Amino acid sequence: MAHFHADSYARAARSLPNVDLIGVYEVDKVVGSRFASIHGINIFSNMDELLREVDAVIITAENSLHHEYAIRAVECGVNVLCEKPMTISLSDADDVVRAVNRSRVKFQMCYVMRYHTVTRVAKSLLEAGRIGRVLAMVGSNRVRRDLPVMRDWFVDRERAGGGAIMDHTVHLADLMRWYTNSEVEEVYTISGRNINQHISVEDNFSTTLQFENGILGHIDGSWAYSSGYYTWGDVAVEIVGSEGVLMIDAFRQSVYFIGDAGPDKRLVWHYYGCDADLEMVKSFVKCLVKDERPLADVYDGRQGVAVTLASYESIMLGRPVRPG
Amino acid sequence: MGLTHLLAWRLIEGCEVVGVWGRDYSRLKNFCEKYDVRPIRDLDRLLRDESVNIVDVCTPTYTHREFVVMSVEAGKNVIVEKPIALSIQEADEMISKSRRHGVKFMVAHVLRFFPDYMRVKDLVEQHAVGSVASMRAHRVGPAPSWSSWFLDRSKSGGVVIDLAIHDIDYFIWVKKSMPISVYSKVANLVHKDYEVDDYALITMRFPDGAIGFVEASWAMPQTFPFTMKLEIIGDKGMLQLDNHSPVPLRMWTSKGVETFSPESLQVGLGGQFLPLDPFYRELSYFARCVREDLEVEVGGEEAKKSLLVAIAALKSAQSNAPVAVGG
Repeated sequence: MAHFHADSYARAARSLPNVDLIGVYEVDKVVGSRFASIHGINIFSNMDELLREVDAVIITAENSLHHEYAIRAVECGVNVLCEKPMTISLSDADDVVRAVNRSRVKFQMCYVMRYHTVTRVAKSLLEAGRIGRVLAMVGSNRVRRDLPVMRDWFVDRERAGGGAIMDHTVHLADLMRWYTNSEVEEVYTISGRNINQHISVEDNFSTTLQFENGILGHIDGSWAYSSGYYTWGDVAVEIVGSEGVLMIDAFRQSVYFIGDAGPDKRLVWHYYGCDADLEMVKSFVKCLVKDERPLADVYDGRQGVAVTLASYESIMLGRPVRPG
Repeated sequence: MGLTHLLAWRLIEGCEVVGVWGRDYSRLKNFCEKYDVRPIRDLDRLLRDESVNIVDVCTPTYTHREFVVMSVEAGKNVIVEKPIALSIQEADEMISKSRRHGVKFMVAHVLRFFPDYMRVKDLVEQHAVGSVASMRAHRVGPAPSWSSWFLDRSKSGGVVIDLAIHDIDYFIWVKKSMPISVYSKVANLVHKDYEVDDYALITMRFPDGAIGFVEASWAMPQTFPFTMKLEIIGDKGMLQLDNHSPVPLRMWTSKGVETFSPESLQVGLGGQFLPLDPFYRELSYFARCVREDLEVEVGGEEAKKSLLVAIAALKSAQSNAPVAVGG
């Protein structure tokens, strides 16, 4: 339950008529029992017991645990909805791909931005050729710098696998792969001086991509926004096509609230747009019920890991790198 | 740019526009009739005219060196449109000749005179954001439709040297330092009939570890409004601006909505002056430097810095590797 999204996924699952939320397995007993009581579910101290009881699991543990949990679930024949990044090493990612391919389970990635109405409309506009051929994409997926430090594992290299690059490359890299129907051929990343000097993982980076079909891309997923920012962050993508431009700002459907409580409450955003977490969980359930292929599957999970790790390698080598 | 500058010069107190010279006399005559200014047929005579103190060079970039050098050799103070030149050699020649002739020489990096960009710099200097770790700029729009030379790399240098240079210069101004290395992807996305780069993604590393990122585009459709965005992030806060959010005046007609911003000289309103206009500020500043014998802050050496970075960006794009600036 390490990830912030655990609660919203659980709420989404509970809101669906054909889903029963059975229980939770969590190494941290305090976190686990709080989560169980909030959602009115059982807490399991043994993962195998939980796996025997359920048709599907949602993995929202620390990044470093995804691999083990995913393999165990898949090997027990349990369907998996897995938080991003799928794993923190490429060999682990390949492991999961092999396990899923050997099994009959559905494996879906929590690439939540594929399930947002705005990004889906954009996808259909692109497929209809409304801006011609895609030529370049510039994406921003920044969060407020106070958020990652609220859960200590996010800023722990061992458990998270890295910092902002590990946390935030995949959403945009995946959207861009989806939009271009192409794989990333080359990644160049620089990591800048940390914005938050008190954490040991990187929080400030700039990634340039080139796709196999020649499309250019740029990703900034830094934990950069000031803690007074009026929302948690953004998912914004500008797409340049041969006959037009598309600008996505997925969470810009909101009402402004201006408060009086104090200087930190000057401006608050109340979002009223699509609940992408809910749409994603719904889509996962539909795949199970109708035996359909997930929109973001285990291979997409693996490719996201490959781009992320290529970023780190590029920083180390100081040159563009081809993802593994 | 000639027209914008003409309108601004006319509003500057103590200045008088003596005349305009252009490379194509018949076009010049039409222009001068329309805007009620004296056409000059003979450039040499204009440069010999003792009453002329300032020459404002608004010709295409590839001609800057020629006209700047002619003017400074005639003892005139010169302001030249940005970028200073297409090459460092040309820039160096302008710098050394303006020095030798003891005249003022300024490069019109107008972003330094935009009230919003000035305010951001002031706030950074007042430590509003702490120490700057990240700067992002977007300068995106359709290709300039008013003149065709922009889409000829040999004349304008393309989108990096002509457009991205605005933000590169601004970063250097704000950071008070040069980036040490640059990585860039540069492409011709939509102007396949032209020899020109119309799109660039440029990432810079500054000596203190700060990142600078610029997206510059001429690849947008003609319907796309010219867009500038800036974001500066430090350990204590962040600043954002874009040219579409602050719209204090809107007008709806049968043609749709038109917005007016105090940052633009409203050419369409017959040159009616709005006091925050950056071109007015820029040219007034140069006039003051000349009148009061002040050192020009955006002189040749300063303008050469962003050109060095832009050239490094082009080298990086060619070699697909990070390039040391000036290396």
